Amino acid sequence: MEGVAMKLPSFKSLAPNAISIGHRSFSRVRRSSSLSVYSAASSSATVATNSESVSLGHRVRKDFRILHQEVNGSKLVYLDSAATSQKPAVVLDALQNYYEFYNSNVHRGIHYLSAKATDEFELARKKVARFINASDSKEIVFTRNATEAINLVAYSWGLLNLKPGDEVILTVAEHHSCIVPWQLVSEKTGAVLKYVMLNEDEVPDIDKLREMISPKTKLVAVHHVSNVLASCLPIEEIVVCAHNVGAKVLVDACQSVPHMVVDVQKLNADFLVASSHKMCGPTGIGFLYGRSDLLQSMPPFLGGGDMISDVFLDHSTYAEPPSRFEAGTPAIGEAIALGAAIDYLSEIGMPKIHEYEVELGKYLYGKLSALPDVRIYGPRPSESVHRGALCSFNVEGLHPTDLATFLDQQHGVAIRSGHHCAQPLHRYLGVNASARASLYFYNTKEDVDSFVVALADTVSFFNSFK
Amino acid sequence: MNTSSSFKVFASPPLIFSSRPPKNASQNPRFSFKLPRFCPKTIRCMRDSLNLRSSPNAPSALSFATVEAPLGTETSDKLRILVSEFRSLTEPIDRVKRLLNYAADLAPLDDTARVSANRVTGCTTQVWLEIKMDEFGRMRFKADSDSEISKGFCSCLIWILDGAKPEEVMGVRSEDLSEMNVGVHGKEQSRVNTWQNVLMSMQKRTMTLVDADVAHRGGERPPHHHKHDLLFKYVNGSYMESSKVHHDYSISLLPLYYDFTI
Repeated sequence: MEGVAMKLPSFKSLAPNAISIGHRSFSRVRRSSSLSVYSAASSSATVATNSESVSLGHRVRKDFRILHQEVNGSKLVYLDSAATSQKPAVVLDALQNYYEFYNSNVHRGIHYLSAKATDEFELARKKVARFINASDSKEIVFTRNATEAINLVAYSWGLLNLKPGDEVILTVAEHHSCIVPWQLVSEKTGAVLKYVMLNEDEVPDIDKLREMISPKTKLVAVHHVSNVLASCLPIEEIVVCAHNVGAKVLVDACQSVPHMVVDVQKLNADFLVASSHKMCGPTGIGFLYGRSDLLQSMPPFLGGGDMISDVFLDHSTYAEPPSRFEAGTPAIGEAIALGAAIDYLSEIGMPKIHEYEVELGKYLYGKLSALPDVRIYGPRPSESVHRGALCSFNVEGLHPTDLATFLDQQHGVAIRSGHHCAQPLHRYLGVNASARASLYFYNTKEDVDSFVVALADTVSFFNSFK
Repeated sequence: MNTSSSFKVFASPPLIFSSRPPKNASQNPRFSFKLPRFCPKTIRCMRDSLNLRSSPNAPSALSFATVEAPLGTETSDKLRILVSEFRSLTEPIDRVKRLLNYAADLAPLDDTARVSANRVTGCTTQVWLEIKMDEFGRMRFKADSDSEISKGFCSCLIWILDGAKPEEVMGVRSEDLSEMNVGVHGKEQSRVNTWQNVLMSMQKRTMTLVDADVAHRGGERPPHHHKHDLLFKYVNGSYMESSKVHHDYSISLLPLYYDFTI
């Protein structure tokens, strides 16, 4: 049997050694529930042998204590994972353990705790690299989140490489974090932004994108999976077209890395960004993947400690990547917790997670589209079209905010309403806002059923006021 | 000046005048709120007469408001009435229903007023706010929204503030409204907090009109009053600076804690 039940005092003295055994066994140590502050759940990432009859969602739920609560008198049904995901107990443990047992600043000290913290921090970097199949962990730059990572590329690579008349290709469905930095930088450099519109399937038109790519194109910045349309772009194809004209490609993988296998070498992307908090990790940490030669050529983004080599009064020399782009004390505990999240996801297996979500996403789409007056945005699922496990939709005559408010107040169902940081897309679709229900591998068919029942109730409630 | 007729025309009827009795009529929350620190007899009488729901001429009881009362008492009274009404609705769904009822009471807005200049910024729903200063220097509001709940918010805010003096509008603080939050559990300012955003827009645009009014009168000060001075100083202080800025980077231009009811 894995893991040992321990009383806290002896566990404490054991902890420094437990770390050296290895991160994974550390996270599997079970604590007796009366002593545990945060969670009695063991890591259930080790799949039980009788798993076949129970869905993934049901199996993992016990790892997420936050899901077991009532809001406004109803059981919480959390359908907002595209905004942020919930964290399993092992991730919270990892964060707590860092602060409790070996918190220390990294890359600076010589003493024991500092060495431990540095080791764990760099191990987390390696885990990220392995997770997305980067060839070297030096290609992973830790940032605050994906937004900061895109800004890093915009201000560091963009300001240096974009000249007046150069073109940056985006899609109308981009998240604001992949539009605004380019707007800011194009103002400064004179580069021109071009947008790919949607085709009749409500997916960015790849044919138009191919046509738009020209020798003037210097960068193509696109999402992998859309947080509104749930569509998936053929990144490999886009990269081939872009590289043919010498353009770079930045992939916003915030909605793909948490949900499916993402292999940066296979995609052959130049830059890729993702946020930890959407993949069961804590907030405050994200990463940029950049090809080694590219990162080497880029000037610093933020200045300060850690990113320097030598500092004089009138100039400084800079460190090698990734340190060059990591100024100041990083979110050490958070990076380590991200590593724990990656371990957790990897133990379940990303292909399994993806398979489960495709099925659940289809179920959600099917039930939602069966309701009258519901308009779902994005492509219809089919053999060739796999949607992400989310649905942005509108109900005729009902404002999404009113809908979301009622769902929350009366049914404890948490969805998102608004423009989901994609105002240009909403304008293009001709709406001001939409509601969005998004799933993750800890959701179940029952969650979808509860949501649909609640939605039908909401619609009839508001209709009764008309 | 008879404000009662103005109230009839512009303000959406408050709950106490409607045919639907409040939920716990026996435990009348109106008597449970604290009186303002200074409370002249005129205010008490007004409060009592406001309770005469049976009187068809109940709105005329508001003519007490024409009596010289300390600034902000009428508005803050209405605010307290509304807050206690919402506080008495313990089920969140009842608050939603009450807001939807109020939404139905909202006076319609002309299509001509649905322009971007009238859009309340910072809301996830679309809210249009039309604001005028009448010939008596009182603020007049009309609003609309594509969300029924937001319409309910606007209806409540307009009931409180329509016909109020500019300093009364400025005297309402966002935390006064936090009791009435529906669907927004937190008290912090955020995009979904329609109450706050609409109130701030009302206050900001009141300032613009006061400013224009003052300028129109050749910069002469409004009738001398201690509190008017404060208002005037503020007009000449931070708001004036920000009005020159091209980009409105912040919707928090106004001091939300400005309390005229001291």
